[in-house]
Amino acid sequence: MDVMEYLREAAAQHGPSGHEAPVAQWLKQRFEPLCDEVTIDALYNVIAVKKATIPTRDGSAAPRVMLAAHQDEIALMVADILADGTLRMGQVGGVDPRILPAATVTVHAGQRRLTGVVGATPPHLLGAQAQRENYRREDLFVDVGLPAQRVREWVHVGDLITLNGPATPLLNDRCASKTMDDRACVGCLLEAAERLQRMGHLCDVYFVCTSQEEVGCKGAATAAYAIKPDFAVALDVTHATIPQSRPDTTVPLDAPALTYGPFIQHKLLERLKAVAREHGVKINTEMAARGTGTDTDMIQIAREGVPCVLIDLPLKYMHTTVELLDTRVLAECGRLLAHFLSDLTEGWDKDLWI
Amino acid sequence: MDLKQLCELPGISGREEPVRRAILEACAQRLGRENVSVDRMGNVVARKPGRVPGAARVMLCAHMDEVGLMVISATDDGLLRVRAIGGIDPRVLVSKRVKVGYPAGGAQPLNGVIGAMAIHQQTAEDRKRVLPIDQLYVDIGAKDNDEALSKAPEGTPIYFDTPFSEFGEGLYLARALDDRVGCYNLLRLLDADVCGDTAFVFTCQEEVGCRGATGAAFALAPEVALVLEGTTANDAGDVPASQHVCCVGQGVAVSFMDNASIAQPELFGRMLALARTHGIAHQVKRSVSGGNDSGPVQRAHSGARTCVLSVPCRYIHSPSSVCAAADVDAQYDLARAFLENETGGAR
Amino acid sequence: MYELIEKLVNVYGAAGRESAVADTLETLLKGHVDDMRRDAMGNLIVQKRGSDPQGKRVMLSAHMDHIGFVVVAVEKEGFLRVMPVGGVGVESGRTRHVYFQHGVHGVIVQQPVPQGETPAMRHLFIDIGAASDEEALARVSLGDVAVYANDCFRLGEHRVAAPAMDDRVACALLVSVLLALDQPRHTVIGVFSTQEEVGCRGAKTAAYAVEPDVGIALDVTAHGDTPETKLPAVKLGQGAAVKIMDRGSISNPEVVQELLAAGERAGVKTQREVLPFGGTDAGAMQLTRSGVRVGTVSIPCRYVHSACEVIDLRDVEAARALLLEYLTSF
Repeated sequence: MDVMEYLREAAAQHGPSGHEAPVAQWLKQRFEPLCDEVTIDALYNVIAVKKATIPTRDGSAAPRVMLAAHQDEIALMVADILADGTLRMGQVGGVDPRILPAATVTVHAGQRRLTGVVGATPPHLLGAQAQRENYRREDLFVDVGLPAQRVREWVHVGDLITLNGPATPLLNDRCASKTMDDRACVGCLLEAAERLQRMGHLCDVYFVCTSQEEVGCKGAATAAYAIKPDFAVALDVTHATIPQSRPDTTVPLDAPALTYGPFIQHKLLERLKAVAREHGVKINTEMAARGTGTDTDMIQIAREGVPCVLIDLPLKYMHTTVELLDTRVLAECGRLLAHFLSDLTEGWDKDLWI
Repeated sequence: MDLKQLCELPGISGREEPVRRAILEACAQRLGRENVSVDRMGNVVARKPGRVPGAARVMLCAHMDEVGLMVISATDDGLLRVRAIGGIDPRVLVSKRVKVGYPAGGAQPLNGVIGAMAIHQQTAEDRKRVLPIDQLYVDIGAKDNDEALSKAPEGTPIYFDTPFSEFGEGLYLARALDDRVGCYNLLRLLDADVCGDTAFVFTCQEEVGCRGATGAAFALAPEVALVLEGTTANDAGDVPASQHVCCVGQGVAVSFMDNASIAQPELFGRMLALARTHGIAHQVKRSVSGGNDSGPVQRAHSGARTCVLSVPCRYIHSPSSVCAAADVDAQYDLARAFLENETGGAR
Repeated sequence: MYELIEKLVNVYGAAGRESAVADTLETLLKGHVDDMRRDAMGNLIVQKRGSDPQGKRVMLSAHMDHIGFVVVAVEKEGFLRVMPVGGVGVESGRTRHVYFQHGVHGVIVQQPVPQGETPAMRHLFIDIGAASDEEALARVSLGDVAVYANDCFRLGEHRVAAPAMDDRVACALLVSVLLALDQPRHTVIGVFSTQEEVGCRGAKTAAYAVEPDVGIALDVTAHGDTPETKLPAVKLGQGAAVKIMDRGSISNPEVVQELLAAGERAGVKTQREVLPFGGTDAGAMQLTRSGVRVGTVSIPCRYVHSACEVIDLRDVEAARALLLEYLTSF
C-alpha cells in the first residue's frame, strides 16, 4: 500500500464521532476489493470480513478474529449562534483548546462547506494575568466572515465543525496530519488485508473500522457483540516521546508497541511477541495499569468476554492537527498483524488461562 | 481448601492463574470435572443443579483477584519501576516486603522490598509529601537494569508478602482478604442443598472494573445473584460512629446500595429477614461507597435481582487487612440459608 | 396534560424505588396497550403492536426515578445522615421539605460549615422530628431514600413547577402518546425506566429485552434563557428540543433529521439541543446488542435537579405532536 497516498486521502475524509457516514462509505470502498463482504451497521461501523482460506482439520467453524481501529475523529460543533453571527463551539470528543486560536476550520452547514477562523479577544485587550493563561473553548468563537443574517439562514445549532490539517510529508518518511488518530491504524488494517491476499489463514478475519471511539468506544462495543469474536486485536495510536514527556509514559516513534496490563490477555500477548520475534518486527512495550483508553476496553467485555491484545502506533502531538508518525511503522504494524493471523494454529488457545 | 491457603496464593488482577488453578482443582474434586469450567475471561464457573423445579437460577460470585503491582521498567542501577494494579493508596507501600513473579514448577518467587529515603535525609517538606508510585521502587537486589529486567521483565506481577495469621481475638490478619473470604465461602457452599440451579462463579479482574463478572453474567443470565465480598469497615480509631461503614465482628454486612448497584429492595429485605430467622449475626452496610460485581451482574441481559453480602475488613487493599472469623462464618451462613430456602428470591 | 403531569409528579419514586410510579402508570394505561410487564430492574414495559408484520420496533423511554437522599446513619439525637442518590445538589437541598416512601416527612438541613470547608453532603442531615436514634429507626430504616416533597403549582399561564418534573413530565408525555396512538404501523414499546439518575441502568436491561430498531429517549434538558446562563441554546416555550448530542450520546444524524421533519410537518416549534453535559436513556439504548439508532426528544426545563423544576406546557404539547407525527411517518 502507498502509505502517503492513503494518509492524504484519509485526512481529507470527514467523520466526527457519531457522524461517520462519509468516512465509512470511503472505507467501505477501500476494503471491498480485499474482503468477501463489507457492511456498515447502525452505528456506522465498517465491518469487512475476509473468510478463512485454510479449512479446520475437523471441519469445525473457523475461529473468528476481530481487528479494530477507529475511523472517527474529534471535532467541534455549533452550540449557539451569537448576535453578530459568530459561532460558539461545543466539542465532539476531547479537543485541546490550545490548538484552536487562529486555526482554520470547516463548518458543515447542510451541503455547504464554510471556512471559518477561530477568533478570540485580542491579547492587547486582555489584562496581564489573562494573557498568561490559555484560552478556554468558551472564550473562543468561529468567524465565518458572513453577515449575521446569512449565518442564521445557513448555519444551525448542531452543525459540525471539523479541523483542517492536510497530510504533510516530512523528512525520513515521517508525516504530519489531522486524524492520524486513528485513521493511520485503519491504514494498518488495510496493509494487513493486502498482505493476507497472498497468505493463508485459518480464521475468519473481521476488519472493523469502529465508530465513536473518541466518545467512549461505543462502536467497538456493538460491533464486538455482533461479530462474537473468539479473540480480538485492537489498534490505536499511542504517545511517542517528545522533549517534555515524563519517563515511562511514552514509547519511541520508530517501532510499534504492544500494551500489557490487566485488560490484556497475557498469553495472547506472548504469542504476538513471538510472532514479532520470528518475523523480525522490532517492538516496544507499554503498560496500561487499568483501562487502555482504547476499543480494547469495550471489546474485552462484549458478550461472554473476549481475550484482547492491543497494538500501539506511536504518534507525536496527539489530538492536534499535526499528529506526526513514521509511515514505515504504520506498514510494520500491518505486517505484524498479517503474520499474526497467518501463523495462528488450531487449538493454540486451549489453556489460555491456566 | 482453607482460608490460609487461599490468602497465601497470589493473583493480581489479570494474572489470577495461581488462585484459579487451586480453585479449579478444589471445585473439580467436589463437583466433578465436568461441572467446572474456565470461561473466555478466565472466570472459574462451577455448576450445581437445584432440587426445586422452577426455582430461580442463581449466580453466586466472589472475585479471585487482588490488588498488587506490576513491573513497568527498571532504573540503570537495577531498581524495578512499578505501577499499581487496582486501587492502592501509595502511603501503604513504603518499607513493605513483596514477592516478585509467579515462577513455574514450585520455584520460589523473588523477594523484594520497597525502600524510600531515610527519615534523616528528608527535609521537612519531604516528610509531609506523599510519595507517588512513580517515585517508589521495588528493590530485588539487582545490580543493574539488565539484571533487573532479566529476572523480572516488564509485566511481571508483584504481590504483598504477608503470611496469613490469627490475630488478636477471633481475627485474621492477611493480604487479599478482599475477596478470598468470598472465594473461601463459595467453596464451602458447593455442598449446599440448593433450591435453584446454581452457578458458583469465581470472577477475575474485579479490582480493575468488574471485567470478569461482566462476561460471566452474560454467559449465565441468572435471575438472582448474590455477591460475596470483603468490604471496607472504617470502624477503628477515632472515626465517629456515624461514619462507620460496617463493624468488624458484628456480622455479615448487607448492602442496600453502593456506587455500582442498588440492591433489589425486596431481595435486600428478604436477606435481612433470613438473617433474623436463622439467628445469623448481620448489619446493614452504612455507606454508599465502592462498587463490585453486583453492578454488571445486575445489568446483564434483561437484568437480575442482586444483593451484596460482605465481610467487614479493615485496612483493605493494603498488605495487612483484618477481618473477623465470625463474620466470615456469618456470610457463609446467610448465603447458605438463602440457597437452601429461597426458591424465587423475592419479587 | 397538566392534570396528568400533576398526578405523576405527586407519586413517590426515588432511583431504585420506583414501584409506586409504575403502579400509577399501569392504572393509567390498563386496557389501552397490548401488553404490559415489569422486569427484574423494575422497568415497566408496555407495547402497542404494529399492524405491519415487516414494521419496525420503536422504543420510547421515559424514566420514572427521581433524585434523592439515602439514609446511611442515624445520630444519637435522632437526626438522619444521608448520601446522594443521583446528582442531587447540596445547594438546592438546603432547608427543604422531604418525604420518604412510607409517608414519613422531614426537613433536610445544612449544619454550620467550618470556614474554609466547602459545603458537602456530609454537612446535611434530615430532621424527622425524632428525639432519639431509637425513635428515628422505628420510622425510617437505613437505606430508605428521601425525595423533595410534592409541591406542584402553575407559574403563569403555561408553566408548571414541581420536583420530579425530571422525568415525570416525560412519563406524562409518553402516556399521552401511547393513549393517542391508534393502531400504529410500527410496534411501539413504551419503557418507563428505572435508575436513570444513577447511570441509565434500567434502560440498559429494558433495551436488551426489547431489541428496538430505533430508540427515542424522552427527557428534560437544561435551559440557557435565565440570567447568566448561556448553554444550551434552549429556551422555555420555544418548542420541543431535538437533541443533537450530550455527554451520554450523540443522536443518530438521520434520526435527528426525521424528528425535526416530523416537527415541521406537525406544525410545531422545535429547537436543536447541544448539551455540554448530561445524558439520557438514549446512551444505554444505543449500546444495546449490535447497536441501535437513537435520538432524544427533550422538554426544556429550568432548575433541573432542584425542588422546583419548571417546564412549559406548550413544549410538552409540541413534543407530543412531534412524536405522534414521527411514529406514523415511516
